[in-house]
Amino acid sequence: MDNWVITMMLGVSIFLGAVALFAFLWAIKNGQFDDEEKFLNAAKFDGEDELNDALKQEQKKEALKKSYKPE
Amino acid sequence: MPSKIACSHCHLEFEPSVMIKDEENYFCCSGCQGVFHLLKDEGLESFYEKSKNITLSPPSQNFEDSSSFDTQSFYDKFVKINKDGFCEVSLIIEGIHCSACVWLNEKVLHKMDGVIEANINFTNNKATIVWADDVVKLSAIIDTIRSIGYNAFAYDSMAQETHANKERKAYYLKMAVAIFASMNIMWIAVAQYAGYFSGITQDVKTILNIAEGILATPVLFYSGWVFFRGGYYGLRTKVINMDLLVATGATLTYIYSIYITLIQKGEAYFDSVSMIITFVLIGKFLEILSKKNAADTLDKIANSIPSEVKVVKDEKIVTCKLDDVKVGDIVVVTSGEKVLLDGEIIKGSGSFDESNLTGESEPVYKSVGIGVISGTLSIDADIHFIATKDFKHSTLSNIVKLLESAINKKPKIQQMANRLSEHFSSAILGLALLTFLGWWFWPHSFETSLMVAVSVIIIACPCALALATPVATLVGLGLGASRGVLFKEAAGLEIMAKVDTLILDKTGTITVGKPEVIKEHVFESFDKKLLYSLVKSSNHPVAKGVLKYIKEEDENIIDVLFDEFSQIPAQGIKAKFGETQLLGGNKKLLDENGVEVDFFTQETLFYFVINQRVVAVYELQDKIKEGVKKLVKSMKKMKIEVIMLTGDNENAAKKVASQVSIDNLFYEQTPQSKAEFINKLHSKNRSVVMVGDGVNDILALASADIGIVMGSGSDIAVEVGDVVLLNNSIKSLEDAFKISSTTFGLIKQNLFISLIYNALTIPLAMAGYVIPLAAAISMSASSLLVVGNSMRIRHKWNKD
Repeated sequence: MDNWVITMMLGVSIFLGAVALFAFLWAIKNGQFDDEEKFLNAAKFDGEDELNDALKQEQKKEALKKSYKPE
Repeated sequence: MPSKIACSHCHLEFEPSVMIKDEENYFCCSGCQGVFHLLKDEGLESFYEKSKNITLSPPSQNFEDSSSFDTQSFYDKFVKINKDGFCEVSLIIEGIHCSACVWLNEKVLHKMDGVIEANINFTNNKATIVWADDVVKLSAIIDTIRSIGYNAFAYDSMAQETHANKERKAYYLKMAVAIFASMNIMWIAVAQYAGYFSGITQDVKTILNIAEGILATPVLFYSGWVFFRGGYYGLRTKVINMDLLVATGATLTYIYSIYITLIQKGEAYFDSVSMIITFVLIGKFLEILSKKNAADTLDKIANSIPSEVKVVKDEKIVTCKLDDVKVGDIVVVTSGEKVLLDGEIIKGSGSFDESNLTGESEPVYKSVGIGVISGTLSIDADIHFIATKDFKHSTLSNIVKLLESAINKKPKIQQMANRLSEHFSSAILGLALLTFLGWWFWPHSFETSLMVAVSVIIIACPCALALATPVATLVGLGLGASRGVLFKEAAGLEIMAKVDTLILDKTGTITVGKPEVIKEHVFESFDKKLLYSLVKSSNHPVAKGVLKYIKEEDENIIDVLFDEFSQIPAQGIKAKFGETQLLGGNKKLLDENGVEVDFFTQETLFYFVINQRVVAVYELQDKIKEGVKKLVKSMKKMKIEVIMLTGDNENAAKKVASQVSIDNLFYEQTPQSKAEFINKLHSKNRSVVMVGDGVNDILALASADIGIVMGSGSDIAVEVGDVVLLNNSIKSLEDAFKISSTTFGLIKQNLFISLIYNALTIPLAMAGYVIPLAAAISMSASSLLVVGNSMRIRHKWNKD
């Protein structure tokens, strides 16, 4: 077995693990696990409507950010 | 009889005749009907699918005016401007029952123009709302929350709380990285160890070393950053602490391993680097996790004070902000309300519950010319009083201020492991340096000398030492929880094992706190239903005691409707049932009504009179809890001094003290004097456990090293205490002492194990007999030993 095979396997598996780790870190930073109850219940409220609402909310925020001029 | 129907909104059940019919839906009140239609119009009916059949509370219609949310003073106090320039406020939402409530509130708020973010935490009902102030006002947001049947009030999310949350989050991130990397390093290390024993080419070894090195780097410099920081701050205050030892040990091993990887000879120990950091980081996190959040406590106390009072202005009663009331204003208090200001009664009379200040549940009767004190509660008094102090100088706000400072200045006894580690760390670092120099001068290569020195540090790695305390306290917390003793802070266990004074409150702690019937004298048989209905309608503790007694005799007793009914302050209750005249109360009531009686005892008496004839007398007494005497005895054995502090008068205090054989007692104590008493003990270098239950004890509870609260105590007291006795018994108080001393013993054992271990292995390592590989393995072994020892104690206790 050539050395590069070991190198590649190590590299790929650590990279894949790191992707999952970064996703987890992002979720913690984003506050997705702050409220354990809500986090567990989130699966119940996870439909098309909710996604649409989240998008609308995001757009509203952007629009307000542009027009809002704090003195 | 028609069966009951559930209200379409709140799901409370009523008979159809009293309900509002609206097409095919029934409502219990117009409030529910309003919310139902509102949700329907907004297209949010799916709320009812989500909430299923959970009962909600019907929306209330009378709120304080929401315009106060738009005032400048409110903005100064609660509203923050975030980095985008939007306003942000922290609210507590009242009436959240289920996740559907959270969903509904967030949904409705998101639909509002100008609301950018609404995030409600289901666990603690706290919400953060971000909005654009030029589009929508906060009062409109509050009105919306109220319109769907919830209420919101602001709280000051102090820097302290946000800081605590941030710290916890930072630890999660660091631990996630550390655990991920350690787990990956472990499987690479399996290959390394296998290669060590069965042969491996240097090329492959180097590849594995590089992979381990890459994984260990974030662990050391990201997760392990807390140790570098801690070590640095320690050095600045001239203390060599455990953090420094961990940081130096890990860094030296790391540098050595990089060196080995580069010269492609020998063994690298990246696995030790990441294991040391991960283990000790988890131990540190356990300590942080069990720290009590003082910020939450202060929030709850501040919220328990209403923000408005009723004041007479121009012959009219108007509501007025508490802070705006000036000395000389006339304040109105009706029955059931809290007195929020100090003053003197100018109109009306009635009884007041002063248990917040004295701890005694016996109401105090007050009339014109007598002073009322803030923090007390009007039981049946409708009075006008003239304010003699504004709120800032009132007794109530003084107590709150004192409490805040007591909570923030709580004495901290340094934990044993921390004290020990200071000496330990400097000794190890010194020994490692000596070893290195020793080996280098007696001709050995630089490489060998460094390896031996590193093995000394690794083998002395404080993993076991760092784990000794957290693991033992976790076991102690578990033992407590299974026996109804709730330790809120892990450090409390160790502190409690070191105290030398136990202070007991009388009412509610030594005694049950409520008068209970100890004897019943029936002179003529009568219908128990009449007495039951009579006492049921009174809030007086004596009446409640009698009520409890009757209920215990006959569980299914039902009440009757009186034709006439009146409560006479400080005397009793008067009622008319058909042609029957009923009286229930004390001797004074009988005298007033011309009833003669010749029955007297030492105890509190409740006379029951039907048509001017005394038919029954109940003797009531505040009973002493079981096991107090035994507790006092075992405290003496443990050389802990027992003191009783009470707000009650001399006679009552001495009577109880002599019954439970407590020699040290102090009576007629105010909340402030109790706290001062404890501070005085502190200045004599005594450490104190305070046990109490009421609002009058909170200052003392907060000042003591450990405050123990009865679970039935007032909410604020439970909030302030460090230990809660869930079943209110004296037995669990004794358990608390036992658990804490067992845990402390365990901590000492664990520390002893890890020190002995080091004493045996360090000389071997210094002599060069231990290669770092063996050191790394033995490091894990010592940690396991400590964990195993802790588990042993748990097993032993569970068998008892």
